[in-house]
Parts: sequence; structure tokens; C-alpha cells
Amino acid sequence: MSHTFDDISQQLKHRHRKSTRLKWITMGSLGLAGLFLVLFFADMLNKGLPAFQQAYIQVEINYNEEAETDGRQAFDEELIPIISRTMVRVIPMELRNNPDMIGTSTNEWVLATSEVDQYLKGHRSSLSPEERAAIDERVEAGQVDMRFNTTFFTNGDSKIAEYAGILSAVIGTVMTMIVTLAISFPIGVMTAVYLEEFAPDNRFTQAIEININNLAAIPSILFGLLGLAIFINFFGVPRSSPLAGGMTLALMTLPVIIISTRAALRSVPDSIRHAAFGVGCSRWQVVRDHVLPLAMPGIMTGSIIGLAQAMGETAPLIIVGMVAFIPDAGVSFTEAATVMPAQIFTWSGEPEQAFVEKTAGGILVLLTILISLNAFAVVLRKKFERRW
Amino acid sequence: MQTNQLLLIFCAALLLLGLLAFFAGRSKATRIRSAGTAMFAQPDQYAWFTVLSTAGPALLVSALGAFVLLLMGANIPTLYLLAASLVVAAIGLLVSLNQVKPDFHARQAMERVIRMILASAALISIFTTFGILFSIISEAVRFFKMHSFWEFITGTTWSPGASFLAAAGRGDGGGAEFGSVPLFAGTFMITAIAMLVAVPVGLLSAIYMSEYAPSKVRTVAKPVLEVLAGIPTVVYGFFAAITVAPLIVTLAGFLGLDASYNNALAPGIVMGIMIIPFISSLSDDVINSVPDTMRQGSLALGMTKGETIRDVVVPAALPGIISASLLGVSRAMGETMIVVMAAGMRPNLTANPLEDMTTVTVRIVAALTGDQEFESAETLSAFALGLVLFAVTLVLNLVSVLMIRRFREKYRVNNL
Amino acid sequence: MNRILKTTVLAAAVMSVAGVAQARDQIRIVGSSTVYPFASYVTEEFGATTGNPTPVIESTGSGGGLRLFCNGVGEGTPDITNASRRMKVVEFERCAENGVTDITEAKIGSDGIVMGQSNTNDVVALTREDIFKAVAAMVPVDGELVENPYTNWSEIDSSLPDREISIYGPPTTSGTRDAFEELVMESASEEMDAYEEGYTDIRSDGVYIDAGENDNLIVQRLSEDTGAFGIFGYSFLEENLNTLNAATIDGVAPEAEAISSGDYPVARSLWFYVKNQHADDVPPLYDYVDMFMSDMMIGDDGYLRDIGLIVLPEDEREEWRQAVADRTTMSADVLK
Repeated sequence: MSHTFDDISQQLKHRHRKSTRLKWITMGSLGLAGLFLVLFFADMLNKGLPAFQQAYIQVEINYNEEAETDGRQAFDEELIPIISRTMVRVIPMELRNNPDMIGTSTNEWVLATSEVDQYLKGHRSSLSPEERAAIDERVEAGQVDMRFNTTFFTNGDSKIAEYAGILSAVIGTVMTMIVTLAISFPIGVMTAVYLEEFAPDNRFTQAIEININNLAAIPSILFGLLGLAIFINFFGVPRSSPLAGGMTLALMTLPVIIISTRAALRSVPDSIRHAAFGVGCSRWQVVRDHVLPLAMPGIMTGSIIGLAQAMGETAPLIIVGMVAFIPDAGVSFTEAATVMPAQIFTWSGEPEQAFVEKTAGGILVLLTILISLNAFAVVLRKKFERRW
Repeated sequence: MQTNQLLLIFCAALLLLGLLAFFAGRSKATRIRSAGTAMFAQPDQYAWFTVLSTAGPALLVSALGAFVLLLMGANIPTLYLLAASLVVAAIGLLVSLNQVKPDFHARQAMERVIRMILASAALISIFTTFGILFSIISEAVRFFKMHSFWEFITGTTWSPGASFLAAAGRGDGGGAEFGSVPLFAGTFMITAIAMLVAVPVGLLSAIYMSEYAPSKVRTVAKPVLEVLAGIPTVVYGFFAAITVAPLIVTLAGFLGLDASYNNALAPGIVMGIMIIPFISSLSDDVINSVPDTMRQGSLALGMTKGETIRDVVVPAALPGIISASLLGVSRAMGETMIVVMAAGMRPNLTANPLEDMTTVTVRIVAALTGDQEFESAETLSAFALGLVLFAVTLVLNLVSVLMIRRFREKYRVNNL
Repeated sequence: MNRILKTTVLAAAVMSVAGVAQARDQIRIVGSSTVYPFASYVTEEFGATTGNPTPVIESTGSGGGLRLFCNGVGEGTPDITNASRRMKVVEFERCAENGVTDITEAKIGSDGIVMGQSNTNDVVALTREDIFKAVAAMVPVDGELVENPYTNWSEIDSSLPDREISIYGPPTTSGTRDAFEELVMESASEEMDAYEEGYTDIRSDGVYIDAGENDNLIVQRLSEDTGAFGIFGYSFLEENLNTLNAATIDGVAPEAEAISSGDYPVARSLWFYVKNQHADDVPPLYDYVDMFMSDMMIGDDGYLRDIGLIVLPEDEREEWRQAVADRTTMSADVLK
């Protein structure tokens, strides 16, 4: 078979077309990945943003005598189905604490039930047509209003959808992260310092290194099994507590911190060490006074990223019981608590329509925190990054 | 509450002793030095040495004591234990003060102690692995005493049924079957779907970023892809269950197919999206480390850029790409929240991804959060499943590490 | 000097954090997952309206709860356990052995399980035996136990509709499943000659579909899959009467009265047990108990009724409230 020039240039054209096609395909893949991200965020914003709005109703509260035993008596009867029970139930206690309020009346904006809220947002709601009409009337009269949902940020979990908030989960997350950092940061940095600066190159050191790489890839749920069997069942750490959760997460975060700290230590040039040794510093003094301070920004960056990872982790925490129902958050390491991702998980299982929105709202809060943490880490790295 | 107060008092006492040690050690050293004797170390170093030898042994004793207390169930009252530790601290203080002599190398002694402390910190990661192994194996063994290992590995029926009754206080737990094949089938199915999404998209994106993209696109695209990896899995789970699954049911409906709301496709696809950055990031690094000489050689022979990539670069980078994919598989298998929220609960041995099926991790979570006692066979089965999961992911990780090491040796790159 | 100062401050901070673990005035509750939604509602209400800390409540299952409860008296043991069945004599004895001798028993209401279907179907009259034959793994055919051959309701009994058997039900980890197995499977099989003892294995050939913990999802499925039945709590039926109806079981329709009186066979009582010995250490204990027993919670218009509790008849409710108010110490006799 002989190839004419035409044949070959035809073939070449074909080959170049194929080559260009590959470029477009790869570009398309990257675009596809980007598209996933955009779709995902659009979906979350679409579902979650309404959670930051909440229906309020303007009502008259009559603090009469009957209301001291039954809060419902303070309100007009037709209001009872549309205002949140959480507004009604506290009235007796309020009156008991301030007896001179009896006989007075006020005009206040109070939380509406989640059904009203969902109806006004155009979601599925179990309100009857008459109730819908009544709400519409009140909207016309300006007695029903959508406002910024402060309850969501100032409250803990609740069985009553409109009253459920993320505060106790935020506090639980903070407590858990304190435990996690308090354990994993020192141990992680110490391990990395040992491996980079002190350890002789022997079997033992290699074993530790392989082990750390392996730990980084173990499914997180297995850390939960460890937490359950060792921390809770064996050491008797209180179940569901930030202590149990934090310790479990600490072990999980450890490899991340170790690996990033090692990278940071390695980036400190040897000339610094040599100079310090040269003026008579001991190994520990070199590390403490020269290497560690220079590596600190890198270590911090790695730790923040590890922290962000731990903050979004749910599976091991479910196993150690951190999915408790916590209406008011206590600042304690040993009492039951919940964390943000666990709260999201619990809400996602609630049957009521209003909780779908709460879940997405919680997700937005969590994502905001995580993205800011990561952005902070990036800024930190950019700011202190040093080229030797 | 008494224990708490005791602990508080103990800590306060130890802190005071430490302070005392510091100042006593330093003043002694300063005194000796001001007397004109040359010393091997600075006063502060002596001071820190005394602090370490005061607090160190005491903490060690109390920790050991607490451990023995828990492990052996020995009945040492906390009071005695803490008192004993304090005595040890006092002895340490006296001994170390006595050691503050001109010819004592406080700095070197400190150095040795610090090295030991650092080494023991490094040991914690080893303990963690052993802790996981130990906790899983010991409970799994209890499970295998109740149900045969063989049946667990090869059985095709997972119906804990009656063991649940035993846990609730009735029945004897007979008749339960723990055949894990359907669970692993579900896990593999969802993993396979995830990899079908993640490997092509991840690999092709990596090729684009390393071979074609201008550096500006690269610096933006890489961190943006990393965002996908940073999203918490519980969020992906919600996305899969609320958005993707109904979409799939509707789409299947258009095609005349019958899809379950808990179909395997939704968690699989979403998991694949999550894994994209793991694959693209590592593949990108690997492709970048393929020596440029190989590309140039190929181009010089008249290959087009596409052919160079397909026939030279990718084959050279293959070990690294496989290694990245194996890590992705290991992550997909161990992934929990997405499947807990979006996959089904029914152990279902089927090849149809539109049906609902359950996975190993779903079963682990279900068994440990349900309504039964810790001793029941169903709860313990979680540990048996965990053991298999551990073994499988361990093998995947090790193979992946070996492959990447081979790649590294072949092309002598050090940054992987 | 600077460093020692820092070290001291750090150590002191760590200590004070460790020392914050404070005395307990928070009630600890464990127990049944069936009672959990009711109890957690009451705990929230208790926390919000009395100024006391909200009790910590954990869902451990009835058996697990009673085990923890009976572990002893004092710090670390729960004050209350919820149960979806009555305490057993052995459990009572275990409690006594461990020094838990002063227990008050409280019955709060009942919980019924229904066989629901889309209300595009006519109400079906089932017996427990029919249901058993539809879902059991092994059934007697001509006196021998064989793998369940039934795929159509009319095969079980010709009076039943000609519909394929398809049942959405709760998973093994749910309290509803437990109740179903006890109240339907066990009791039906005990009356059948082919079984020597209660038989509760559910077939796994796809006829019985494990639908997850979310009863709401089952309800949703039924309106799509109109031929199927669903097993779920009575409260969900009540909420969805516009789309669902329920089979009568042994001739009794699932209605609140029939359930609380015990006429409806697939119902059980819900309980909690209070450790009186903790009353002094945990002051708000009785306030919580009394709130739970109040009409506001478990009465005819009580809040718990809104979330699915089937309330007791008034006189019985009054009786239990009185017994609880008197802090009656329960004895083993009542359990026999």
C-alpha cells in the first residue's frame, strides 16, 4: 500500500482533529466538575436561604389570671392554631415571675407556626383552606410579616420546627473542637518533630511513617468503633459528650496534622539548623527556638485544614452517640452535646416539611464556617509563605 | 463529684510543686554559680530539669494507676492513688534538687527526656491503629462465637430478625442469619457507580489541568475542585437524598423504568462527585512528574499532542493513576453518611442500580444506633463488618502505596 | 521567666476547664425509642417552662434502658427509664439486687400499629394470622413448614382481595418493628399448631420491603404504590386520613378508643419508671414526672396526643396519676 501525499495529509487532519477533540473532552470534564459544584451550591442556597426568614404574627397578649395556669388563655382563640406553641407555653412562667403583669396586655410580634411559615413561603403545608384564607387576610392587614430568623441562631434544637435553632450545635462543635485541637495539635506536632528532627532512620521510624499514612486513609466510621469500644465502653468516658467525640476526632485529625507539620518542618532550610548547631544549641533548642517558629505558619495552616475536616465529620460521632437532642446547650465537656453536622443529620430525618429548610439552612451555616476556615488557612499560607 | 474535686486539688498541688521545683532549682543553681563555680548548664535549665522530674514521674504514676484501675478492675481508691503520685512528685523534687550540681549535664538530661516524650507522642499513632484493630477484633470475635465466620462471609441472607427480639428482652436469638454478601454487593455496586463518575471526570480534568490549561486557569481550578473534597459528607448525603434521588426517580419514570427512592444510583453519583478531587489532584501531580523529555521525544517523532498524552504520558503515569483510583475506591467503600442518608436499608442482592440496596457502613450505623443492647448479635455484627471493611481498605491502601512508590522509583521524583 | 509564667497560666487554664465538670441537677433519662419522641417533647417543654435545665434523654431501647436503670443507685445511673413494655420480674429482681429498690411505675398511654394502605382501596378485614402468613419466612402448608409461597392476598384467604402482597415496613432496628413482631408475629404463631413457640422471622424475598426508620416515607410510598400495605404507628394514620385507610385487624378498626382500651390487638402500653432514690440528689425529678403525667401532656387535649400518643381512658389515667403523685413504690406482685 502506497501512501500518497493526499492520503497522509488526510490522515494528519484526522489525527489533529482527534487531538483537538481530546483537549475539548478534558476541558469539558473540568467544566463538568465545576458544573457539579455550581449546581450543588445553587441547590443548597435555593433550599436553605428561606430558613433565614421566618413568619411572625402581630398579636395582642392579655395577661389575665387564667393565663397563669394555661398560657392559651392569653391569646385570642383563633390565634392558637397559627402562633407557635413556644410563645404560649412560657406565659405562665413569665406571669409567675412577674405577678404585677397580670391584668395588662401588650401588642407583640410573635413566632407563627411552621405551617404558616411554610404556607407563606409557598411550600407544602397542612393548613386548611379556611386557615389559609385567614392568614391571607392577616397578611393584607399587615399583621403577618416575614422577618430575619434570629431564633435560628439563638436557640438550640426543638421538636417544634419554627423554634429549632443551631446554637446548641454550634456550642457543641466549639467544645468538641477544643478537645480535638487540645489533643491532636500537641501530639501531632510532637510526632512530626520527632520524625523529622530526632528519629533515627530505622525500622521503627519507617513503621510509624507507614502507619500514619495508613491511618489517614482508614474510613472514619472505624474511628467511631474505636471511640465506642475504647473510650466509652472501656475508659468510661460519658457517651455523647464533647470529650468522647473530641477524642475520637482527635485521632482522626492526627495524621492530617502530622503530615502537614512534617511538610512545614521540611521546608525550613538546613542552613538554619546548621547555624544554630554551630553556635552550640542542643537539638531541642534548635527545634524550639529556630525551626518551629519558622515552620509555625505552615503548621497552623495544616491544623486549620485538619480542624475544618474534623468539623464536618459525622459518622464517627453518630457511633459515639453525639446525635442527642439538645434544646439548651451547656458549656461542658462531659455532658451530652451535639455538633453541627450531627444536627443536620438529625434534622434531615425529621418528617416535617419545615425541617427540610432547617437542614439546608444548617448546611449553609456549616459551609460558611468551613469555607471561611479554609480561606483563612489559604490567606495565612500566602501571607507567611517564605521562599528560601 | 468528689472525684472531680480530688482531681482539682491534685492538679493544684502538682502545679504548686512544679512552681516550687522551678524556683528552688533555679535559686540553687544561681547560688552555686554566683559562688563562682563553673556549671555545665544554665540555671533555667536546671530549673526546668527539676520541674520535669517532679511532675513527670508523678503524672506517669497517676496515669499508670488509673490504667491499672480500669484494666484490672483493681480497687485502689482514687484518693490513695493521687496521694501516692504526689509523694512521688515530692521525692522527684528532692532527688532532682540534689542533682543540681556543677558537674551535672542538665541540658543533656532534658534533651533525653524530651526525645522520649516526642517518641512516645509518635507512638500514639501506632496505638491508634492497634486500638482500632483491638476494639474491632475483640468484639468481632464475640460475634463469630455466635455465628460462624464462613456463614458470615459467604451467606447471602442478612436477616438479623430474631436476634433483635433477644435484644429487646424476648426470644433466644435463634434463627438469625448474618450472611454479609448482599451488604458487600451493595457496597461494591455503589462504589462502582462512584468510580464510574469519578475516574473519567477526575482523570480527564487532571489531564486538562496539567497538559493544556494556562497557569491562570490552573491556579483557579485546582482550589475550586478541592472545595468538592471539603464539603462535609453529611451535606452530600442530604443533597443525594433530597435532590438527586427524586430526580433519578423522575428520569427513570420518563424512560418507563421503576426506580426506588433509595436507589443505589443517587448515592453512587454523589459519592463520585465527592471523590473527583481525590483522583484529579493525585493524577495531576503524577502527570506533572512524568519527565518532559518523554513528551518532547514523542512530539519530535511527529505524534500529535493528543497522541502523546494518550500513548506516552498516561501510560507512564498509569501506576500513579491506578494508585489514586484505589485510594478513591477505599474512600468510597468506607464512606458512611452519603449512603446512610440516601441508600436503602434492605439487604438486596441485585444488579439493578435503580433498586434500593444497603451497604456495610449503613448496617454498622444502623446496628449501633438502633434499639438494641450492646451484647446482642446484631450490634456485634457491626464490628465484624468493620473488621472486613478495615481489612479491605488496608489492602487497597497498601497496594496504592506500593504502586506510587514504584512510579516514584522509576522516574526518580521525590515530591509524591 | 516569661516562659514559666506562660506555662503556669496554661496549666491553670487546663485545670480549671477540667474542674468545670459540675454537680448534676439535670435529669437523665434513657429507654425505649417508641417513647422517645414523647419524652423528648416533655423534656423540652420542661426545660422551657420551668427554668430547670432540660433533661438529657437518650434512646437506648426498652431492654437497654432497663438494664442501665437497674445498674444501681447514684451518680452515673439514669433517673428514669422509658419502656414500651412493662418491666419484667427478672428485671425487677436485678434492680433490687443492685440496690434499686424504690421505683415508681407510670403508664402514660398506648401506641398502636396499623396496616395502612392508600384510601383508593376499600378497607380490608385482616386477621393477625393473615398478616402472619403474608410476612413470615416459613409458613405451614398442609401441616409442614415451608418457605412462604404466598404472593397474593387471595391465596391466603379467598375472601381477601386479589392483590399482590407488598408490604412496606420498619427495619429491624426500629421500635415499631419490635412491636410488630411481638404483637402480630409472635402472638399469631403461638396460636398456630405448626409452631412450638413464637415465630418472628420475616421473609426476605422482597415482599416485605424494609422502608427505613422514616414512617413518613412509608406513608408517601403508599400513595404512589396503591397496591401495597404499610406498617406504621397509629399517629401517622391519624395524620394522613385524607390519603390512607387502615385494615381492621381481628375485626377491630384501629381507632384511638379501641387501642387504648386494648380491643385493637396490635397495640401496646407505654411506660416509664422513676428511681425515687434519686429524688434528693436530682431535685427537679418529680417536677418532670408530674409534668409528664399532667393532663396538659397526656390528657385528652394534651400535647402528646398531637404527636401521636394514644391517651388512656380518663379513669385509668387518673388512677396512674394518683399512684405517681403518691410516689408509690412498685412491688414485684404487680408484674406477675
